[in-house]
Amino acid sequence: MSQNPGRSDQRAKDLATRRKLILGAAAGGAGALLVGRMWQLQIFQHENLALEAEANRTRVEEVPPVRGMVFDASGRRLADNIPVFDFWLDTAGVEIETLPDLVAATAVAIGADPGELFRTLERAILNGFGEIEIARNLDRNTALMVRENTFRWPGIDLRPRYRREYFSGRTMGQLVGFTGPIPAESRDAYLDRGVSLSEDVGLTGIEMRFQDDLRGTSGRRLLEVGALKQDIRELHYTAPVTGANIHLTIDTPFQAGITAILERFLSPEGAGVVIVLDPRNGNVLALVDYPTFDNSSFAAGISDDEFQGLIADPRHPLINHAISGLYPPGSTFKIVAAAAALEEGVVNAETPFECSGHLILPSGWIFHDWLKSGHGTVDLHRAIAESCNVYFYKISGGDPYAGFSGVRDKTLARYMREFGFGRATGIDLPHESEGTVPDRTWKQTALGAPWVTGDTYQAAIGQGFVQVNPLQLANMYAAIGNGGTLYRPRLVTHLTNSNGTTIRRLMPEAFGQLPVTEGNLALIRNALDDAVQGINGTGFRARTGSVRFAAKTGTAEYAGLRDESGNLPSHSWFAGYAPYENPEIAFAVLIRDGGEGSHTAALVARDVLEFHFGGKVPPLRYPTLAAIRAEASA
Amino acid sequence: MKLVRRLAALAARFERRDAILFIGMGGLITASLVALAFLGEPLNAGLSSQVLRQSIFVALGGAAYLAMSRLSYRVWWSLSWTTYALAIVLLLAVLFFGVERGGSQRWFLLGEIQFQPSEFAKIALIVTLARFYTRSPLALTTLRGHLLAGIITLPLVLLILRQPDFGSAMLLLGIWQGIALAAGVAWRRLVIPPLVTIALSPLIWLSLQPYMRERILSFFDPGFDPLGSGYNVLQARIAIGSGGLWGRGFSESSQTVLEFLRVRETDFIFAVIAEQAGLIGATALLAMFGLVILYCLMASLSAQDSFGGLIAAGVMLIFVFQVVINVGMNAGVVPVTGLTLPLVSAGGSSVLALLAALGLVTSVSHYREPSNFQSRQRPAIGDVVE
Repeated sequence: MSQNPGRSDQRAKDLATRRKLILGAAAGGAGALLVGRMWQLQIFQHENLALEAEANRTRVEEVPPVRGMVFDASGRRLADNIPVFDFWLDTAGVEIETLPDLVAATAVAIGADPGELFRTLERAILNGFGEIEIARNLDRNTALMVRENTFRWPGIDLRPRYRREYFSGRTMGQLVGFTGPIPAESRDAYLDRGVSLSEDVGLTGIEMRFQDDLRGTSGRRLLEVGALKQDIRELHYTAPVTGANIHLTIDTPFQAGITAILERFLSPEGAGVVIVLDPRNGNVLALVDYPTFDNSSFAAGISDDEFQGLIADPRHPLINHAISGLYPPGSTFKIVAAAAALEEGVVNAETPFECSGHLILPSGWIFHDWLKSGHGTVDLHRAIAESCNVYFYKISGGDPYAGFSGVRDKTLARYMREFGFGRATGIDLPHESEGTVPDRTWKQTALGAPWVTGDTYQAAIGQGFVQVNPLQLANMYAAIGNGGTLYRPRLVTHLTNSNGTTIRRLMPEAFGQLPVTEGNLALIRNALDDAVQGINGTGFRARTGSVRFAAKTGTAEYAGLRDESGNLPSHSWFAGYAPYENPEIAFAVLIRDGGEGSHTAALVARDVLEFHFGGKVPPLRYPTLAAIRAEASA
Repeated sequence: MKLVRRLAALAARFERRDAILFIGMGGLITASLVALAFLGEPLNAGLSSQVLRQSIFVALGGAAYLAMSRLSYRVWWSLSWTTYALAIVLLLAVLFFGVERGGSQRWFLLGEIQFQPSEFAKIALIVTLARFYTRSPLALTTLRGHLLAGIITLPLVLLILRQPDFGSAMLLLGIWQGIALAAGVAWRRLVIPPLVTIALSPLIWLSLQPYMRERILSFFDPGFDPLGSGYNVLQARIAIGSGGLWGRGFSESSQTVLEFLRVRETDFIFAVIAEQAGLIGATALLAMFGLVILYCLMASLSAQDSFGGLIAAGVMLIFVFQVVINVGMNAGVVPVTGLTLPLVSAGGSSVLALLAALGLVTSVSHYREPSNFQSRQRPAIGDVVE
């Protein structure tokens, strides 16, 4: 190795130089890669990563809007908001030794049982529950008192909130409805609409139907946050938009007067419905269901006893029977068959039919008239005014002995539908029922049984399979009164914003026309007039000096417990319009399990008419339902 | 006048190409102090302030640089084993008397000042290996010789692993391999230690501390534990990316200012600068490292003897490895190892040691007299006497 040290040294040096240049090149290459990576991150991925940095830095806080109000037709408040405080405690900040003092300082003010409060808090502290809600809906003074008494404890939080406050709840509660926590089954739907899960939403009535309008729009607070999620400053604030106010067609005193008329007759155990519409535009003037509930109870947090009482009541006060209940309409429904027979040319006004008190089919089935002795020979006018069943059996299902076939079930059903039955009227309330318009197709599908002539007979007199809700019936009478136009019952006239400016009008809306010529309608109207004013009119008990009007009684038997003489129980109906000329109101009165329509419902209707046209509730001039029942059973 | 003349005389000792080093070194130190100043600590907070503390060490480092650059690097030929022994002693002592920070015992605490012996161990190792590969020709021509250098390296590596400081330990192994490469050890011998390491990697994996395993895992999948070890990797990537071309400035750099980025002063100071100064700033910073590395390479190539050449190459390797690994881990392309960014990350011992090392390189660059180190043929440790 020492033969030529010089050359070997030079070779070693060249090798080292080459190696160092390799190292330098490697370093340069690594540097180039790093710059490339920077280029990738800072140029190509810049937008995404900047967004991530922004997401790191900021937090969006929803600012809940104030809910809109509800007003009656005269601008009286029906629903408003009042500021309340929820009392929260971060139990992590409370020493167990100071707990007795804390309970002593708060229990009385918030109206809690000290022993129970102590046990609740003790369990929360020992189990590390963290933040818990101790009391809800404290008013301002109570909240101040709690704040003063508890300044020594950290973690006391009195959170301001608006809660709903209702007025005239005893009469308007069911219509206005109430709010409450989002039901589990509709969580997703509300989340999709931007409602936060901690919010209360409308659960029934106007509160539910107009939830989206009443709620308003959330505001947003954009906050800058640090790495520990602590708030640093507000970057941007969008104010929430207060919800819209809803203005109803109903005037509270009218609704309240009718509630009083119904209540004094029905109390304590009766149940009934009164609906008053304006036939000229479909406005709902009163929609009373008795018994009902007070929505203020729900707003304040209903007590368990009160709620259980409502649930246990067999009359189901939580349901609005005026729109959700389904009943056979009885004789009030005969108008439909009469119109069908006239329009189809099956009969004319003079066509006579013999009524012997019953009709026996060849099959042996017997169909009775309410008047056992029979009405004799009747035409259309008398049949309506005196409510002859046999006449309507014959014009609808035919007379097998005379070779007369009647209008038949299919045609009758078509007329029912064109009179607004079998579908919702479209009133601005949730949970409206549709009812049943029976024909042979329906029966085959629903019951799997063939249609028989008796089914047509029953349908013509509003019995059997026919089911209507009271509003549909009132709406039909409104159409007869106004010359044939079916309006969508209008409960809301307009919506205003928080400045009082109208933001939306809900105009009267005709959704159908009765398929009856003017002449035929006049025949029916004339008969309805005689049903009240005539010598043998079934509605004679409702006659009043205040106004001349047209109406029809109805006694609708339903499948319940028979009484001692073997009769089925019946709902009592009275429906019509007033005045007879140029009607201003149309009405339907239903006394559930109220016996003869010519008795109970007609008497209530008379009070309603006198109240509307006379200005004040007349005195009670007839026995209450309880008294009638007592007498009947005695 | 006398002072001016002295300064002029001092300046005259530097050469034109030293400007490359001064621009790089000065730029890096300036970037470091500016970045630290804007990390939110008040300047009047006394010695606890990062900037003031760092400035003091920069001043001390400057003095060390001047001293080392004027002293002939050749004095370290005979002192190399002494420095090696001193490094062993200090690393042993720190295991007994050092303070623990963040689960690792790396520092001596002298009053207010921390001292990290592993920073000096790097230089001691460079000097020792430079002498070893210069002194023993068989170190270049036999596997035994090459492995013997590894055995010299190993005690330092093990002592540093014990602290534990995985990054610095790996760096020492890298310096060994790098100096051997520069010295001219044949490729077939060079690849043996890495191959053996890979073969033994399952065993090594089992012997790793859990925190080291987590770091390696979180490198391969930063989402693996986004709030734990992967957090910093994600946040650094976001910080760098949000900087864009021109950077977000000092006050708008939300990742830095709002402390989403942790260990901002040390491991992740590159991400801070990249967020604040953008691609322009990050590239400029890398360019300044390029200047420092270029200067070391030039000094190594022009060295009058293999000893000096290998010293300069070793110091260059410290910069190359630390920059690539630190910037790489900031950019999410290299596992988080805790290696700092040379001259930029806060850390007194590191700045002091690195400036002294650059002084050593300057000395190599300045010495023109031919040396006779290579002609010595006296048997050395590991030489095979035939």
